[in-house]
Amino acid sequence: MTRVVVSGLGVISPYGAGAKTFWTGLATGECAIRPLTVIDTEGFRSRIAAEVPADTVAALGVSRRRSRADRIALAAAREALADADLAPGDRVDMALFVGAVGGGMLEGEKWYGEETQSGRPSPRIGALRSILPVSHSETLAWRLGLGGSRETVVMACASGAASIALGADLIRSGATQLVLAGGVDAITRICFMGFNALKLLDPEPCRPFDRGRRGMSIGEAAAFVVLEDADHCRARGARALGELLGAGMTTDAHHVTAPHPEGEGMIRAMADALEASGREPADIGYVNAHGTGTPQNDRVEALALVRVFGEGRVLVSSTKSLVGHTMAAAGSVEAVATLLTLQHGLIPPTANLRDPDPEVPFDCVPGTARPVELQAAISNSFGFGGQNVSLVFGR
Amino acid sequence: MTARRRVVITGIGSVSAAGCGGSALVADALARRTPTIAPVKAFALEGCPSRLAAEVDDARLMSLLDPDAVRRLSRICRMAVAACRLAAEDAGLEGGRGLGLTVGSEYGDFRSGAEFFNGFLRRGPAGLSPMIFPNTVMNSMAAVVAIAIGAKAPSITLNQGTVAGDLAVARAAALIAGGRADAVIAGGVDEIFHDVYRGLAALGALSPMGGDGPEGCRPYAPDHNGPVLGEGATFLVLEEMETARRRGASIHAEVLGSAWGGIPVAPHTAPIGRRDAHRTVRRALDQSGVEPASLGRCYGSGNGDPSLDDWEIQLLAADGIRDPVSLAPLFGQHGGLGGLRVAAGALDAREGHGPTLVHGIARGGCRAALVIGRAA
Repeated sequence: MTRVVVSGLGVISPYGAGAKTFWTGLATGECAIRPLTVIDTEGFRSRIAAEVPADTVAALGVSRRRSRADRIALAAAREALADADLAPGDRVDMALFVGAVGGGMLEGEKWYGEETQSGRPSPRIGALRSILPVSHSETLAWRLGLGGSRETVVMACASGAASIALGADLIRSGATQLVLAGGVDAITRICFMGFNALKLLDPEPCRPFDRGRRGMSIGEAAAFVVLEDADHCRARGARALGELLGAGMTTDAHHVTAPHPEGEGMIRAMADALEASGREPADIGYVNAHGTGTPQNDRVEALALVRVFGEGRVLVSSTKSLVGHTMAAAGSVEAVATLLTLQHGLIPPTANLRDPDPEVPFDCVPGTARPVELQAAISNSFGFGGQNVSLVFGR
Repeated sequence: MTARRRVVITGIGSVSAAGCGGSALVADALARRTPTIAPVKAFALEGCPSRLAAEVDDARLMSLLDPDAVRRLSRICRMAVAACRLAAEDAGLEGGRGLGLTVGSEYGDFRSGAEFFNGFLRRGPAGLSPMIFPNTVMNSMAAVVAIAIGAKAPSITLNQGTVAGDLAVARAAALIAGGRADAVIAGGVDEIFHDVYRGLAALGALSPMGGDGPEGCRPYAPDHNGPVLGEGATFLVLEEMETARRRGASIHAEVLGSAWGGIPVAPHTAPIGRRDAHRTVRRALDQSGVEPASLGRCYGSGNGDPSLDDWEIQLLAADGIRDPVSLAPLFGQHGGLGGLRVAAGALDAREGHGPTLVHGIARGGCRAALVIGRAA
């Protein structure tokens, strides 16, 4: 079977620009969840988020005329391609998978609000052109000259991980040797207000797996990886940063917003990913959990982890406690975090975890990063609509 | 992943301006070719440069659904649920771990997004409805359909203009061929929502596109001057061939080849002259073993958008394919139209006509190609 390796990484995160900056933040356990500035938060239960810093966005070298999401996506994708050190001709058939939800909604909301409140056409109507998630794929393909298959994958908070799984499938099918895959989401009013309305946001920085957790903290980011046929990577003398050993994708078919109470779909996703990877649960040293910090998600994910790995048999942490829940980008952000964890032999901590929940019978690496020699790790992403994606990475 | 598996089409379900039903309804609509494009009835359009659409009859839609069971579903979700159920019934298929779902959409549930946001504009944070918010995520249609039909394999939503439905079918074929699902219900859905309609008209994206010709959908015609929106949902049941045969399913056609690509051009543009270095159509034909001369028909995505129509004709001609047939005048442009194109190809194959190419190209360069033929 065709082996798929990762040969390039790119991240724009709440820590700033670049995969190195991202890793430094994770390794030091710095929580990037702060008061939200890009939108007005007056009157809301939670008023914090993990934003990409304003000076980072300003210095990305991407036109201010593009939506905020397009800007961070393009910068992260450029970094991943540069990191992979591809030849210009490699891009002709390079496929592109972008996980996205919010699109250019941040700018679209201004257009819509102005028109609705004034009753007159707004000059911002051009925002309608980039309001949809597909805008990211079109922008990236055009600016980066990617001429292969192209998909804009909308699978809620599992979008970024699904893009990586589907991209690897395309390589394994023989249709292409190179894929740029990842996800992006910028903070939008609708997202922030929606999760507030559902009372799923913690007024304080989120505390995944803590007994007193009260919800998640939203964030924004873009993260992309270059996936490559291992033989192609070797033949061109490039270095592999890790290997995508297997992926599982399942649907709960249970509830639109709540996970299956026994984690049935989550268990299948992890089991499928392990089977595809040819690894046993005992081979997995670390789980980068979906770990949102909502009471329900963390409880059910722990149930599923117990079923797959056994109580306490694997180290678990949630990087959402550090960079927030970056929505459609989360799966790709966490895939990059998992790859860097394997590379550095250092597990990023779960921040703000002071009183571990006894219903989560795992060492969730509280507070401080932990050095551990790892051979393989799994990254979980679950989303609205009962969407479950698990990715198994190896060194 | 296992070796590539053969993929067949065993069911069709459709909700469109032409009616609601399974393969028989779609076959009848294609045969009768009754025009469905008419002045918009659902909302007023004073001062709007466009006035036409192909609208779904809500009474007919609701006659397919249990009103109590769907009272909390948005209109677009109702269309998706109805069409997917029709497709599953047409195929005699039940849900399970091997059943996946791929949903293509151009605009998703924009209506719910606007309704949710309007709550805030009217009343601030107190006006926000936690019931509406989940619908604002574009995969909400897939979420409710997965629950309705018990689809537990991957359920994937793809956002794409013009070719959303055919792209979703191509993606579904790849999921089955690669072993991620044994069967997938695949297609597209969109609804006409007044804010989107008015916005697109204001941007000059709908017929008459700021020109002075008569409004209308005239794909590939010399006087084409823009698309006319339609709405609805059309889904097909795709299955791994041996699985379908084992359960005694009636096979309409086989997906002989499929490929999708992207010509890297500026967003929203259709630059005539730009070639497809990825050779999307050639890839689909090579996979199918069918030569252009052997094709019985090509269903194209032409929707009356002059630049896009002309670009499509040029791209197809480069592969030796001429005279594509458009279904846009029958159903209007929407995410389900790609599903209808594939359904038309499947019905042609069932009737013994030669293999069909289903082709689509969108502004921004996304391109899909499927070769549909009789299952040998």
